[in-house]
Amino acid sequence: MQRLCSPAFIGLAALAGVLIVLPLVVTSHFAIDICIRILLFAFIGVAWNLMGGYAKQLSLGHAAYFGLGAYTSTIMQIKFGISPWIGMLAGGVVAMLASLPIGAVCFRLRGPYFAIATIATAQVLMLLFLKFRDFAWGAEGTTIPNLGNTPLMMQFEAKAPYYYIALAMLALGLAITYRIERSWMGFYLVAIGEDEDAAEAVGVNAPQVKRNIYMISAFLTALAGTFYVQYIYFIDPNTAFNFNISVEAALVSIVGGIGTLWGPVIGTVLLEVTSALLQSWLGSGLGGVQLTVYSLILISVILWRPTGLLGVFTDAYKWIVRAPPAREAAIDG
Amino acid sequence: MLETVVQAVINGLLIGGIYALVSIGVTLIFGVVKIVNFAQGEFVMIGMYISYFLATYFGIDPLLSLAISMPVLFVIGVGLQHFLIRRVLGLGDMPQIFLTFALSLLLMNVALLLFTANYRTLHTSYSDLALHFAGLYVPVAKLVAFILAMVLSGILRVFLHSTDMGKAMRAAAQKPEVAMLMGINPDRVFCVATGVSLALAGAAGSLLMPFYPASPTAGQVFVLMAFVAVVLGTLGNIKGALIASLMMGIAESLGIQFVGADSGLIVVFAMLLLTLAFRPNGVAGGSAR
Amino acid sequence: MAEALVVRNLSKRFGGLRAVQNLSFSINEGETVALIGPNGAGKTTSFHLITGFHRPDEGSVTAFGREIVGLRPHDICAHGLARTFQVARPFGGMTVLANVMTGAFLRDKRPEVACAKAYEAIEFVGLSAKAHTPARDLTTIDQRRLEMARALATEPRLLLLDEVMAGLNPSEIDQAVALVGKLSKRGLTIIIVEHVMRAIMAVARHIVVLDHGQKIAEGGPKEIVKNQEVVRAYLGSGYVHVATAGET
Repeated sequence: MQRLCSPAFIGLAALAGVLIVLPLVVTSHFAIDICIRILLFAFIGVAWNLMGGYAKQLSLGHAAYFGLGAYTSTIMQIKFGISPWIGMLAGGVVAMLASLPIGAVCFRLRGPYFAIATIATAQVLMLLFLKFRDFAWGAEGTTIPNLGNTPLMMQFEAKAPYYYIALAMLALGLAITYRIERSWMGFYLVAIGEDEDAAEAVGVNAPQVKRNIYMISAFLTALAGTFYVQYIYFIDPNTAFNFNISVEAALVSIVGGIGTLWGPVIGTVLLEVTSALLQSWLGSGLGGVQLTVYSLILISVILWRPTGLLGVFTDAYKWIVRAPPAREAAIDG
Repeated sequence: MLETVVQAVINGLLIGGIYALVSIGVTLIFGVVKIVNFAQGEFVMIGMYISYFLATYFGIDPLLSLAISMPVLFVIGVGLQHFLIRRVLGLGDMPQIFLTFALSLLLMNVALLLFTANYRTLHTSYSDLALHFAGLYVPVAKLVAFILAMVLSGILRVFLHSTDMGKAMRAAAQKPEVAMLMGINPDRVFCVATGVSLALAGAAGSLLMPFYPASPTAGQVFVLMAFVAVVLGTLGNIKGALIASLMMGIAESLGIQFVGADSGLIVVFAMLLLTLAFRPNGVAGGSAR
Repeated sequence: MAEALVVRNLSKRFGGLRAVQNLSFSINEGETVALIGPNGAGKTTSFHLITGFHRPDEGSVTAFGREIVGLRPHDICAHGLARTFQVARPFGGMTVLANVMTGAFLRDKRPEVACAKAYEAIEFVGLSAKAHTPARDLTTIDQRRLEMARALATEPRLLLLDEVMAGLNPSEIDQAVALVGKLSKRGLTIIIVEHVMRAIMAVARHIVVLDHGQKIAEGGPKEIVKNQEVVRAYLGSGYVHVATAGET
């Protein structure tokens, strides 16, 4: 009962309320589109953060799972008429299974070479899908047939339903992160991220823990892939396995606060709002501005605030309410 | 059939020389400073644009502009080390990886803003020349680039083995704590190592210009090749990086010849993943950090 | 008395270097044994071999009746062998409590149980006041205490302590010696690698001396001090250690 009255719970409830009412108030297509992007990339960031943030396995190849999710559901839908709702779960399972051999190879490496190996896996998948003409439309890709308003096929005329799906995915991702963070698994992940040998010495089965978290992370990322192609009605290898997805997944977490529950959300809001502002000021023609600004933000964060910008907000919050240091803060970034 | 194979091997070997310059740079920074420079390819790209603009506006031959691109990139390298990399040394993987990674993104996109995504090619007097013998075909521009790349690698080797600074670098690479005891100023050694490494990337860019188009993303292929070569050739090992780069060039070329024009990268990545899968203990640092 | 650990003919080479050669010794349950020797004698390597961080080229290690060569470090820890590292390796970003809880989760996955056990271990090593301090902010001795608490939280039957007293001042050494004594009283079997002679004499009933990867002597503290081989080994390469051990 006490928990229901805590400021954190009230804040969360208020936030949820605002987010649920938002599409009823905001009618601009541009604005709601940005909201959906924020929710989607925050979700991808949350999925990346489970492995990259808590266990510090810095993957730069999460596009592999995004693409596998996207292609699995699309192939099932177009070739076999199966609903993307089922395809979404199937895509998650495919991604999970794919993460096993990929992890077996990449986890042999640590640090920068792990990152490079993961880049290679995503690139190999993209190159392969460029070749798969028979069952995956090769380089040309395909549009997803528009069936009108068919909720059972994850197609809607309005934008609001997409918004709610993305919101639900993000809520799911955050709930999973919250549960893991407070369980033995969270401690094990952070311990592995800090010092894998020392973790092994206190009984942490590091290879197994890494494999499991990679599977969860891959599964969630694949859900985002399915959602994205359903939202834009188009798929090709360059969209599905785009390197920028891998980059943004890592970027939002690092900018917001790596290995924290809300870090990826804060990071995504910051980066996407910046990007939207740039777009409205400069028009969409100027290629390169967005990533130039992103990389400058990333460099600044690394040099001056490597724990991420979330800390700025929590410090400010503490300063405002003059709260004593949180008791549950057993894990420090 | 044999001719096709030999021709593919020659093509691969020649481009492998350029890969070697990039890989040696990557492995030099890794060996001495213990940093993986994700932005190495972008410095190749900068070298290409330097040569491109010197040739188009001042008519300077790209091979001569080596004399400008290398020192310029050396200075950039010293600055990079002094103002950026130095600040993340010893801070763990995340800042170290993402600093140079962000730099790579930054340089690529700034180049996109400044120079647009257009491919820019240079046509030199020797761009179309080729040597023909025994039914084989050797483009002069690539041959010259290969030879100069090998000469530069040779000079680097002499530098590392016979100058005090070079010896200090090797000491720092093998035993940082010993190097410290010898009274070597690590900051200076690190700056020179990064400078030399970037100068090699700049050289690669200039040497590529007569036969390879410049674009903001031109460096990416080279840095990926370099990473694979550096892993294959054991991290921090210059001779290993050189040999592996030549092998990579040949493998890529054979892949293009026999698997398909767009299969070069698949072959390379497959090589990387297979190497990783079959090399016990992994390659980056073994089991104990 | 039952044997806690039996090491037989253990050997390990690194390239041309014979780090450990034909090492055999055994420890009874409840005993405290010191492993000593000059620098580079193979003490830490022996720890790595026993705890699964290195795989021996030859030989066997039997702990509580089970062969453990070939097991991964976490399996060996689960079997009841916990270790500390020569240079303490706490999880720097975690608090002391979170560090120790990580160890406690080995036996019970419930956070509230792990937390209670962690507090107990933290109190045992005398670190209660700093339970919520991030580990990276601790002093050297506190980091060592933390490592011991973290190891204890895994509920080991055999504890391997690698130079827990190196770099400590005399009063800190006294505290550490007292702590090891307390652990021993709890019934724990302990192997301790140590340079500080005063500490070894105080805690160990039995001493194994290594030199160049080989066992050159074994026995009670009094015999060891008089043993000619041991004196020669230390005079040859590590005399300074013996001579200054009292003051470090």
